[in-house]
Amino acid sequence: MIGDLDYYKGLVVKCSHCALCEAVCPVYLEDMLETHVARARVDIIDQTLYKKSMPVTPRVREIINRCLVCTSCTQSCGAAVPVHEIIITARAALYDSQRHNLLHSYFTRAMMEQRGIKGLPALMLAAAQKLHIAPEGFPKVSLRTFDSLHHGSYLPEGKKRVKVAYFTGCATNTMDVETGVSVMKVLAHNGIEVVIPDKLMCCGIPALGEGDIKTAHRMVRNNIAVLSELDVDAIVTDCTSCGMMLRSESAKLLPADDPLLAKAVALSAKVFEVTDYLNTIGLAVEPGPLEESFTYHVPCHRGWTPTLSDAPLQLLAKIPGLKYRAMEEPEKCCGAGGAFFMEYSDLSRGIRKRKLDDITGTGAGMVISQCPGCRSYLSAGLGKGRKSVHPITLLRQAYGL
Amino acid sequence: MKTKVPGVDALGKDLRHLLGSGKVKTEPEDLLAYSSDATRYYAQGKPEAVVLAESVDDICKLLKYANQHEVPVTPRGAGSGLSGGSTPIKGGIVLDMKRMNRILEISKGNMTARAESGVVLANFHRAVEKEKLFYPPDPQSMDVCTLGGNVACRAGGPRGVKYGTTPNYVLGLEAVLPDGSVINTGGISVKQANGYNITQILTGSEGTLAVITKVNLRLLTLPPERKTAVIVCDSPQIAAEMVSRIIYEGAVPAVLEYLSVGAIWLMNSYSPIPVAMDGQAYLLLELDGSPALIQEDMEKIKNISSLMKAREVKVIADEKQAAGIWKARKNLSPLILRIYQKSISEDVTVPRDKIPEMVKAVSEIGASLGVPTGMSGHAGDGNIHPGVQLMEITPEMEKKAEEAIRLIMEKGIELGGTISGEHGIGLHKSAYLEKELGKDQIELMKRIKYAFDPKGIMNPGKIWTEVQA
Repeated sequence: MIGDLDYYKGLVVKCSHCALCEAVCPVYLEDMLETHVARARVDIIDQTLYKKSMPVTPRVREIINRCLVCTSCTQSCGAAVPVHEIIITARAALYDSQRHNLLHSYFTRAMMEQRGIKGLPALMLAAAQKLHIAPEGFPKVSLRTFDSLHHGSYLPEGKKRVKVAYFTGCATNTMDVETGVSVMKVLAHNGIEVVIPDKLMCCGIPALGEGDIKTAHRMVRNNIAVLSELDVDAIVTDCTSCGMMLRSESAKLLPADDPLLAKAVALSAKVFEVTDYLNTIGLAVEPGPLEESFTYHVPCHRGWTPTLSDAPLQLLAKIPGLKYRAMEEPEKCCGAGGAFFMEYSDLSRGIRKRKLDDITGTGAGMVISQCPGCRSYLSAGLGKGRKSVHPITLLRQAYGL
Repeated sequence: MKTKVPGVDALGKDLRHLLGSGKVKTEPEDLLAYSSDATRYYAQGKPEAVVLAESVDDICKLLKYANQHEVPVTPRGAGSGLSGGSTPIKGGIVLDMKRMNRILEISKGNMTARAESGVVLANFHRAVEKEKLFYPPDPQSMDVCTLGGNVACRAGGPRGVKYGTTPNYVLGLEAVLPDGSVINTGGISVKQANGYNITQILTGSEGTLAVITKVNLRLLTLPPERKTAVIVCDSPQIAAEMVSRIIYEGAVPAVLEYLSVGAIWLMNSYSPIPVAMDGQAYLLLELDGSPALIQEDMEKIKNISSLMKAREVKVIADEKQAAGIWKARKNLSPLILRIYQKSISEDVTVPRDKIPEMVKAVSEIGASLGVPTGMSGHAGDGNIHPGVQLMEITPEMEKKAEEAIRLIMEKGIELGGTISGEHGIGLHKSAYLEKELGKDQIELMKRIKYAFDPKGIMNPGKIWTEVQA
């Protein structure tokens, strides 16, 4: 169970010390210091929190904080050490839900409860962005939120094939509303009835990254309760991090004897990233042509289902004329990491630099990605003339919707 | 520990003054991160400082200082070694070379490349392959290990069967001697007869003579095509005997791996392998070359297989699936830890015709001592990678494992083989080296060591048990 130090005791010592995590850790590849790679992080957690042979110094905290929780090391670990879960659990043990100051915690929790940045914080952020004092790479907040536009059930065009619930994450809900609209239109166009459930909260991943297990629990419990009441064939999301949370991490947050656990497990089988889902059931309507080229940045939170990484490519291959130009190492992190880029801005910019070089190297007109964090952080780096969009946006265009 | 003149605090202060503070780490957490290689279970050392070198000049300054004050220096690439070679058992300074990671030249005309020693092997592969050139050495840690580390340890890899190992490609080196002077050995010519072959003395010296800073490597033409196949066998003996037969018949695969049942199961759990899982041993191979050559060789292999009663030769047509299988192979060492608590992988290498005997001996040694042994390795070059695995770590089991390793080493030597084909001697095998090479040769090695490093500061405590300068 994530957050339970005892649970990971036996897994910490599973590390074979093979060092293969050096190939995938974005922080290590930027810092070029072995202390900042999974092998050393896990050893240091073992010595400080388990064996207690070393004290918890500020340097220890820095090593545990300076991680994007991108899960690349977990995904590639041959010995199956769940490194990101160990990092989160260490943060929980070290900070007891207070990794940052009270104001930070207050805003994070408020954002999570109402699914995005709304009200006064939204106005403040908009003002800060006007004055150019907001963090670089932070997305623009939409004052017209997705959940104010859509809720309830939406019948498809033509014959109904399936019925799905659309889990709208905080970013889509308040910052990238157009992606939400695109998802609605494309699903309806393909004979899919869409339910937008009320009373959902954030998926919980920002709290999880903080090691704020209590808040993550609250979100997960709420969402499982809401979603398991629905009579739907699938739960789709446009965001790979929300998807990871619903599919694989929620159940890991619940104790073995929790009655909600069975529901969480049952739900997890129904969770799909939207392009992956469309590939699974097939398109009902052939898309029209698009004379454009794109490249694809694979989000870090891709490990929760094996077909996810290739799903957008498989889907967009159905659009005549649309050209895919592969970048070098499409799975390399962009440096955003949720709110990480605000705290470690130099480090994140360094990580992003490599990615931007790879993107521009393709000569493609745009970059697609299913992670809203990646999209806005990359957009800020790419500047004008090159956009980053959700793959579903291209499908919507191809349908002329 | 051994630092005679400067104390720990003074050492850090001196190094920061000498190199700049960003390149020197002395906090306990950083020292822990640099305390061992991939064999942490075997030994750990505690350095007093870590230096992240960024230039040859940094290394000259550092070595001059260390030599003057007699502080041990342990050079380090990725820290992915399997011999304990980069474990700083005598304390002192760990010299991290990974920031020196520029590829300086790739010459199509001369088919050579020159690079700094901290370049990661997989990055080097990608860079030369873009030019349709080929650098064959492929230790399974290639995604992280460095060219300098490969040269220092004579790293091999699956492709060794057809293409040889790192030493076959090293034409010249730039190295810093312990007194801070810089030498350029060999060159970039493919033929050299210019006095003692210092290049090849440094190659395989495991950081005990000098710090390798640049490498000149020979390249080949990139084979136009590759094809993967898996052979299912109903006994380990059939698989073992097929290995030398395949090569003798002239169908030399680029890779010819022997996989035990346990190994194929673990790999299959990581990436699906489309063959029957009830075989008793498997061969995994890759053919490379022109499409016509590959087809011809594949026919030969199929004929040998039916002649020797192998059950099936499965050609993996799907490139993605093939890539998955090779990725699983790369991860085999850590995969073993999904089942066992501890795994010790050795690289005893025997003459190819002795593989069947070695396979038999290893399983008998395991059975007689009651410890699980396995073999999965580059059988094509006799490097069968016998391993010992422990389900639980108890003093009694540790003792048995140690005994099994000793018997395996002795068997390898008895069959005319060597105790290390590609990992190097480092710490773990130093106790056995004299048995293989004899006292006189060890003494000669020590005299060579003394000529390079009279004060014994370079990676002390490795290759042989005690340095007597």
